[in-house]
Amino acid sequence: MTHGSDRVRSTSDTARLAGLLDKVGRNRDGDAFRALFDHFAPRVRSFLIKRRVAPAQADDMTQDVMLAIWRRASSYDPAKASAATWIYTIARNVHIDHYRKVMRARKVDENDPQFLPPEHPLPDDLYERSEASESVADAMAGLPDDQKEVLRLAFTEGLSHSEIADRLAVPLGTVKSRVRLAMNKLRQGLGEWK
Amino acid sequence: MTQRGHVLDDTWYLDYATGALGTEAQDVMMASHVELSGEARARIDALETFGGGFLESADAGSGELPFSADDILLRDAAEPAVPDQEDRPAAIGVEDGLPLPEALRDYLDRTGTPVRWGFLGPGLRKAILWTGEHGERLWLLRAQPGVAIPQHGHRGSELTLVLKGSFWDGDQQYMPGDVEEAHEGVEHDIRIDEGGECICLALTEGKLRFDSPLLRAFQVFTGM
Repeated sequence: MTHGSDRVRSTSDTARLAGLLDKVGRNRDGDAFRALFDHFAPRVRSFLIKRRVAPAQADDMTQDVMLAIWRRASSYDPAKASAATWIYTIARNVHIDHYRKVMRARKVDENDPQFLPPEHPLPDDLYERSEASESVADAMAGLPDDQKEVLRLAFTEGLSHSEIADRLAVPLGTVKSRVRLAMNKLRQGLGEWK
Repeated sequence: MTQRGHVLDDTWYLDYATGALGTEAQDVMMASHVELSGEARARIDALETFGGGFLESADAGSGELPFSADDILLRDAAEPAVPDQEDRPAAIGVEDGLPLPEALRDYLDRTGTPVRWGFLGPGLRKAILWTGEHGERLWLLRAQPGVAIPQHGHRGSELTLVLKGSFWDGDQQYMPGDVEEAHEGVEHDIRIDEGGECICLALTEGKLRFDSPLLRAFQVFTGM
């Protein structure tokens, strides 16, 4: 759970990161980029690993993401999104591009380790370790466990709603209604924060 | 006049925001929808904020990365950036003024896909942009004002995104940015609005019931 002091620190951390990204965009500020790199490069790599990207690939893709941040930072608008949100979309897109290329290049072998779930279950409280995303954690905390589980599988493992149904061995309609309920609640919760 | 836009089931937005859509055609369809619909954009904004939260909470680890920020800056200096859009060849057959969303235009440019209009029925033209392994198709529909497409059903599902103009299905009006999701077995009774030409991006998954040939069903179309 989030404590008051964490909240203060995380709010200023969010502002600091947004400021760094803004500086990279406006001034091509190398020091701001190095600070952003220190914060985000390990997280992007770990995010990709959780999405079953092999470690060597994850290194390459993390570099692609960081290069894209450096090159596209001028399109970042701190009024619209946090640095983490903006970087998330870049990491996701780099991952999709890679995935689509693999799909095009060969008939995908479903037993390829890249497409198998990790052997170790992921911690359920992943989102609770967040510092800068306390509003997301707060919003998640208000959801029933079955809805949290669906969002966690979607965001951390990148599973589609039908893959989530398979993983949880529940009907597709059940996943759809959990997503609908969760999103209704999140729309209310995140509305104020944004 | 405000009208609530027609949007899709929430799972479409979730899969788009997490990068879990099954095909590039679905990516293009959703990105185009999000570009044109404020309702869709708001959903994606909320979900991407969530994605940012999950990224932020990803384990930062303690091990050294095998590359540094300065490696990235060196690479930036050594590698030319991908050419800007202006430098790329324009999509073939895209006449000026055709209201294509950026996401679709990018896709056409990147894949070198031509937009070639063909006859679909009286007052109707189509341009197939992509055909998938399982018979899925991404295509453009261009309809003259007032054209009616009488009752028809679908085998498989179909997403239809309005890019320009509007159409009615029964008493529901679909405006630019709106998407209609037609499920298998659902009957449609479509009328193109009298006010002007209507252009839609459609993604057909599985086969239309009247698929072989597609024209067969359209032979019963009435004109204006």
